[in-house]
Formats: sequence, structure tokens, C-alpha cells
Amino acid sequence: MKTLEIIFTDILYVSLLIHIVLMSVAFYRVWRGENVIDRLLGLDLLSTLTLAVLVLLSLINQRIIYLDIALGLAALGFVGMIALAKYVADEQMF
Amino acid sequence: MYNLLLIVPLLLVYLELSSNFELSNVVVGLLIVSGILLLIRPRRRPMAWHRLPSAIVALIKYVVILAYDLIMSGIQVARIVLDPALPIQQGIVAIPSECESELGSALSAHAITLTPGELVIEMDEQGVMYTHCLDATKSEQYVAEAQKMRRDLLEKIFS
Amino acid sequence: MNLFLQVIAILAVVVGTLFSVVGVVGFIRLPDVYTRLHATGKVGVFGVVFLLVAAAFGEPLGWGRGLFLILLLVITGPATAHAIGSAANRIGLPRKGAERDDLVYTSKSKS
Repeated sequence: MKTLEIIFTDILYVSLLIHIVLMSVAFYRVWRGENVIDRLLGLDLLSTLTLAVLVLLSLINQRIIYLDIALGLAALGFVGMIALAKYVADEQMF
Repeated sequence: MYNLLLIVPLLLVYLELSSNFELSNVVVGLLIVSGILLLIRPRRRPMAWHRLPSAIVALIKYVVILAYDLIMSGIQVARIVLDPALPIQQGIVAIPSECESELGSALSAHAITLTPGELVIEMDEQGVMYTHCLDATKSEQYVAEAQKMRRDLLEKIFS
Repeated sequence: MNLFLQVIAILAVVVGTLFSVVGVVGFIRLPDVYTRLHATGKVGVFGVVFLLVAAAFGEPLGWGRGLFLILLLVITGPATAHAIGSAANRIGLPRKGAERDDLVYTSKSKS
């Protein structure tokens, strides 16, 4: 029982490291993108990976408050991505 | 009466998100929920009570089909990405939705986006969904049959 | 019972990390904006959903919030993918090597 918890914590830290490497790759694609939509797609992926990092922090620290922050980030990221896509398509927000 | 039916699920969501089940918090949640309902003023819809069991059965069937499609789509996209040869034949296929209401069209577009290898790009006024497929050489018969089954389930739920 | 829940949480974390890696690899390897949308829109959301399943099983109080967040992600993920794909079609990005193309691009906003 005790060893299983140690294995779980190790897996969580390795997963956190992998997600941070993936975030840096997505950030590189935002910086050197091919066109506007490619950069927008990179931003969407970056927000999703930030969500994953918040859930992993909540599992590591055993604190529920990180899930609340993830909830707010998911809602605000959705609205912002819709607004940016509409601005790129029609060149006006509303 | 209809607003009373809406207060209970909203209050449950508030109590879950604040995770505090004392009496004072219940009173505060009741005030917030009634304020939200006064601001929004939802439109009254006629409830068909005798059709409720078949609607619930259709809803459960729809959710099960949606979950199966979601898992299959994840596995299929992962297999295509990890293949060294990248076997994609992309293309855009027009699928008519044939739903009367706008809600039915929107929900069937959402369900098509969740099915394996398909993504709705554009939609015109007649309800024709232009779908981008990863494998466009698939037979069109299968897509039409899936859309017909989905439309029947949605009409049973929202009748 | 506790052992069972912990094994499920470990499996969910491993599968979610694998799906996140597949999503980013697809975002790099695939040739086109429309095909990259498939990889990021589906597999990216899939990774977070599996991590949330782990959070729902691994923490004592997290199941309600985890289920709420899973519902939010499953509803809003296809809407975001559709918005970005529609924007790519409106500004007229080409589709590389398309087998069939039923949608003829007509410029609505720009002339």
C-alpha cells in the first residue's frame, strides 16, 4: 500500500515534466508559425496543456482549489478562443 | 411552477461547487439562484409528461452512443498520427442534417464533430453540414445512416 | 477498495499523458491546418479528461468538480474546433491533396 503511493507520486512528477516539455514545443509553434490559424491553434493547445498542468498540481498537492482555478480557466479560454476566431474570420469582434 | 423546477438543479450545482452544506449557505444560494432566474427569465415550454419515459430512454441511448464514438475517435486519430506513413485522404463531404429546429441541427453538428475522423467546417441556411473527413473515400451510405439514426433520437428527446 | 481506486488513478494518469503526447506529435507532423484540428481538438481534450478521471478517483472531495469539468470540456471542445476551422475556411486557406471537395469557397465578407 505504501509503495503504491510512492509509485503514484513518481508517475505524477514524470507526467508534470512531460507536460512542461510539450508546453514549450507548443510555444515554439506559436512563435514560429506558418500562418494566423496555425498560431491560433497553438494558443488553443497551450491553454489545454495549462489545464492539464493545473489538474496534475491538484493531484500532487492534494488540494482542491486548483480544480476551481481550472474551471475558471476552461470557461474563459473557451470564450476568448471563440472571440479570436471570429475576429480573424470577419475582422470585427461583434 | 416552471421556475421552481429550474431552481432545484441550479441550487444543487451551486452547493456542489462551494462544497459547504450549512443552512446559511443554502439560503445564500437560494438568493443567488432566484436573482439569476429573474435576470434571465427563461421562456416557458410546454412539458409533455406522457412522453417523458421514452425521452429519457432516448437520452441514455444517445449519451452511450456519444461516449463510444468519443473513445473510438481518440483511438483512430492516435493510430493515424503514430503511423510512419501518415495514411490520410482528406476531403470535404456535404451531409444534409434534415432537422426542423435549429437546436437539432446544432446538436447533430456537435455529435458529428465527436465521431471518428470528422469535423464540421461550415453550415449553410438549409442545414447542410460541410464536414471535413480524414478518410474521404469511405462510403457515403454509412454517414447517411448514422445521421438518420441521430436525427430520430434527437426528435424523440426534444419533442 | 483503496488499492483498486489507486490502480485506476495510476492507469488514467498514464493514458492521459500518452494522449497529450500524441496530440502534440500530431500537431507537429500533420501537413495541414484542417488535419491538425483533428489532432489538437480531440486528442488534446482526451488527455485532460483522463487526468480528470484520475482526480475524481484519487481525491476524496474531487469527484463532483471533476465531473463538472469533464462535462464542460466535452461540450466546449467541438465548438472551439468548429470556430477555428470556420475561420480557416473564411480566409481561404488551401487544403493540401484533397480527394473530394464539396465546399466551393465563396468570399462573403471580403470582396
